[in-house]
Amino acid sequence: MKVEVSRRKFLQGSVALAIAGGTSISVSNLLAKDKGKIEITTKTGTGEATFVPTLCEMCVNKCAAIARVENGVVTKLDPNPRFPKSKNMLCPRGNAGIQALYDPDRLKSPMIRDGKKGSGKFKKVTWDEAYSYIEEKMVKILDEEKDNRSSFLFCAGEGMAEHTFKQFYQAFGSANWLNHSSICLQTVVSGYGVTLGAYPQSDLENAEYVIMAGANRAEAIVTPDTMDMFKRTKGRGTKMICIDPRFTNTAAKADKWLAIKPGTDLAFVLALTYVTITEEIYNKKYVEDNFAGFDKYKQSIIENKYTPQWAEKITGIKATDIIKVAREFMAHAPKSVYYPGRRSTFAKNDFQLRRAMAIFQGLGGGIDCKGGLVFGSKIKLKGHEGLEPIYDRARSRGVDKKKNAVKGEAGYSDCAVVGGGGSWVSWRNRFLEKRMPYNVRGMFIYKHNPVLNMPNSAKTIEMLKKMELVVAIDTMPSDTVMYADVVLPECTYLERTDPVKTFGGVEPSIAQRNKVVEPMFESKPVMEIMQGLTNKISKSIFEITKKHDEEVQDLIKEDGEEAAYAEFDLTKPFHESQEKINEHAVHDHHGAAEELKKHGVYYPDMGKYYKQVSANVHQYYIESRKSYSVNGGKPKTKSGKVECYLANLSTKGVDPMPIWRDEYNFNVPKGKFRLLTGRHAQFTQSGTANNSVLRDLIFENYIWINKRIAKAKDIKFGDNIEVSSSAGKVTIKAYPTEKIAPDTVFFVHGFGQESEALSWAYKNGANDNAVIEDVTEPVYGAAAMHETNVEIRKV
Amino acid sequence: MARYGMALDYKNCINCKACEVACKEENGVLLGADKHRIWVGVGEIEGEYPLLSIVSNTFYPSQCQHCDEAPCQMVCPTNATYYGEQGQVRVDPEKCILCSYCMNACPYDARYVDDRTMTVDKCTFCTDTRLERGETTTACQNTCPTKVRIFGDLDDPQSEISELLRTREHFTLKANLGTKPKLFYLT
Ligand code: SF4
Ligand code: SF4
Ligand code: SF4
Ligand code: SF4
Repeated sequence: MKVEVSRRKFLQGSVALAIAGGTSISVSNLLAKDKGKIEITTKTGTGEATFVPTLCEMCVNKCAAIARVENGVVTKLDPNPRFPKSKNMLCPRGNAGIQALYDPDRLKSPMIRDGKKGSGKFKKVTWDEAYSYIEEKMVKILDEEKDNRSSFLFCAGEGMAEHTFKQFYQAFGSANWLNHSSICLQTVVSGYGVTLGAYPQSDLENAEYVIMAGANRAEAIVTPDTMDMFKRTKGRGTKMICIDPRFTNTAAKADKWLAIKPGTDLAFVLALTYVTITEEIYNKKYVEDNFAGFDKYKQSIIENKYTPQWAEKITGIKATDIIKVAREFMAHAPKSVYYPGRRSTFAKNDFQLRRAMAIFQGLGGGIDCKGGLVFGSKIKLKGHEGLEPIYDRARSRGVDKKKNAVKGEAGYSDCAVVGGGGSWVSWRNRFLEKRMPYNVRGMFIYKHNPVLNMPNSAKTIEMLKKMELVVAIDTMPSDTVMYADVVLPECTYLERTDPVKTFGGVEPSIAQRNKVVEPMFESKPVMEIMQGLTNKISKSIFEITKKHDEEVQDLIKEDGEEAAYAEFDLTKPFHESQEKINEHAVHDHHGAAEELKKHGVYYPDMGKYYKQVSANVHQYYIESRKSYSVNGGKPKTKSGKVECYLANLSTKGVDPMPIWRDEYNFNVPKGKFRLLTGRHAQFTQSGTANNSVLRDLIFENYIWINKRIAKAKDIKFGDNIEVSSSAGKVTIKAYPTEKIAPDTVFFVHGFGQESEALSWAYKNGANDNAVIEDVTEPVYGAAAMHETNVEIRKV
Repeated sequence: MARYGMALDYKNCINCKACEVACKEENGVLLGADKHRIWVGVGEIEGEYPLLSIVSNTFYPSQCQHCDEAPCQMVCPTNATYYGEQGQVRVDPEKCILCSYCMNACPYDARYVDDRTMTVDKCTFCTDTRLERGETTTACQNTCPTKVRIFGDLDDPQSEISELLRTREHFTLKANLGTKPKLFYLT
């Protein structure tokens, strides 16, 4: 067997060999000189150490870690084997969490802007000065807007302390909340939600057949899916079919890879459905008992002639392959999974795609069962009292209602349904295009980087410039922070205890992030920032309410000012320490609070069942206690049925069942390329770009261009390529490869920082969102990120 | 006395490089892609889109093989490279004169120069960190999402690694060179 393993060959062979999404070649040492000193990792010692169980926050998965602390310094993060969700692993980012803590570029103290917006010039201030500045601006804006609390926007990235920040938003009384959902998983969550009643998990530990389409679990790590999947492919228990327009690391680990034209997965699923129905290989009993609207859907599938031959023309996947996949999937059902995916909104038809996937899954009966899609169970936590006062003057969410909308059409100009997390892109564009029903003049940003994380960076920057007061709470001087008026430094996840969290699944548990070391510099946890801020502003902005809100004036007359204020006291949700709140949350579970402090993880009978089975394997629950089936194998919809046909959607102008429309066809004008974006295992979006260890693995991103096209255009590895669209242009180095189709290009997200305060990330590679156009899908207004055609040019 | 080796379920590897970061953080290895004790070998993919060969893109996680007949040890003029008590191939930085004979002699190219000490370094099986503290796994094994590695005592017939090597087919790299590697790739 000839195996390529030499380390030197790996280094020299060609730079291209090392490229997953970016590159990992040792240019870093050369550039280090002008980009700041490369920090050296600390060797772990053999002397005394303390250990603190925590949860990783280098991405959304929240894997359990144990921090090793020597002389007050965190020297190592090890996986915590007790957590069923992360199963004793930490990915490269999890290991590199130490560098996030000790990043020399961290935000160290509160700052107020001291130059033009976006100039990156700030002056250091005390916490009190920062709060006073916010208070003054806030009072002015609220007074001028007559106590319309919605004149402030609140937005947050995903994280365990997002909840704490959201409590501030709720108490403040604005209706404008934007989270990361509309640039991530909104369509998949709601597509499965309306069809199966919940966004399910996949039992990849037991599935025998898995279709993984547009989900790159080898590079976009999701726990426990990534760990469960790849131990079993390649003839070791499961057959995995990877469907992707590019050859990813997931494709490399698949049993079969089928290249598909971008945005045409829906045609593929419709054809799978066609084969399944016409060959009558679906689970008839399951469908009879658990489907609603099946006959209508069946009729549509057959009358529209969604044949494999029809789909071959649209998707590029051979009809014979489609037939084979449909037959194999059904032969293994219910132990087969059409993997739902996570970040999902690639094309405009995404909501319908997820519905079609959910229905196809149902045809095999693999719902709420071992080896199929699972709902799992969840350990209950006790709620913490928040504050949601009613401000009479606060307007409802800033939407753009369509005038004279008729039944059967979307009621809004930019989407059919407004979800709780809102549509970031639509909201921003309404603001810029003056389609807001009232003025929005200030915004709070928590752990969120809208400049880099959503399509059309130029527009986001314009929006931030137009906001009178931008308050950013973050750990790093991101591109977004550069446009803030006030910067409040949050401490990193290793320096704080966060709200305890319950993790549902086949093996449910509760886990807690415990503070490992004291916050460095002037930084604070969000909880304390909220305490300080609300103490400062609560009374003074209540004065504004008193002035404009007649209801409150009446209330004061009736009950007196003190009683009235009690309902509006913003400090209320933040009185207790996080530790106390967590103890209360798990109060119903005997011994949980202690276990969570000691082990970071708790579930019933952990002491009895948790054990190490072998060097690499741990047992959490015994088989009979696992929650494979919690709903009798039925979907969780209100009707208890898989919803094929949703009449209420058609009243909003949304197709009531998944169908193909000609406008969904993949089409690239001659001379242009479809731009795809994605993830890789060493970075989490733009958030880890300045991490010295990770940046050392992937220094910059490269654009994948098909080798034959590159040859024709005389593009060689490393050549500078200008990529342009109507949104903007970037320059990025070329990586000619056969892993991508001739009409498509790709580069990973998370690079191209413009913030000079990030000494290592600054101007490494290119920012995809500078060229991705702001296309949204029609149901929720979620950003459809693979709809942009670009031109490329060697420069 | 134990004789340490490692079995690799290499088909599990997703090329995520968690092992590389864990190794650097555990053992204080210098940053820089040319300064690593552990790596994943992968060849350029063969074929033309969309007809690509999946096997040509197989990932081969690797590190020092801790050869029983180590060429690096044979050529070392100062005996800086030596066999540890449990069969690990070690380098004594006090004795290393950076002649770099070992780097050339190693058929697996497992060695690099540590710029701080200006001596040769490589995988130690975490001997002076984890093993010295009494831990039984290496950092790269412990952190791996798909659990590629199983570390253990080859001389103990009861050990997990011995059991695995008895029951599963495996191969070693460049076996024809007679270096007797103690890294075993499970098929
Ligand atoms: S997947 Fe990696 S980055 Fe994400 S939480 Fe787990 S260890 Fe941390
Ligand atoms: S940590 Fe495991 S899966 Fe990741 S590169 Fe290393 S061996 Fe491969
Ligand atoms: S792999 Fe190379 S460095 Fe390691 S023992 Fe063998 S010859 Fe020596
Ligand atoms: S065994 Fe230890 S020293 Fe060797 S590669 Fe793994 S982590 Fe690094």
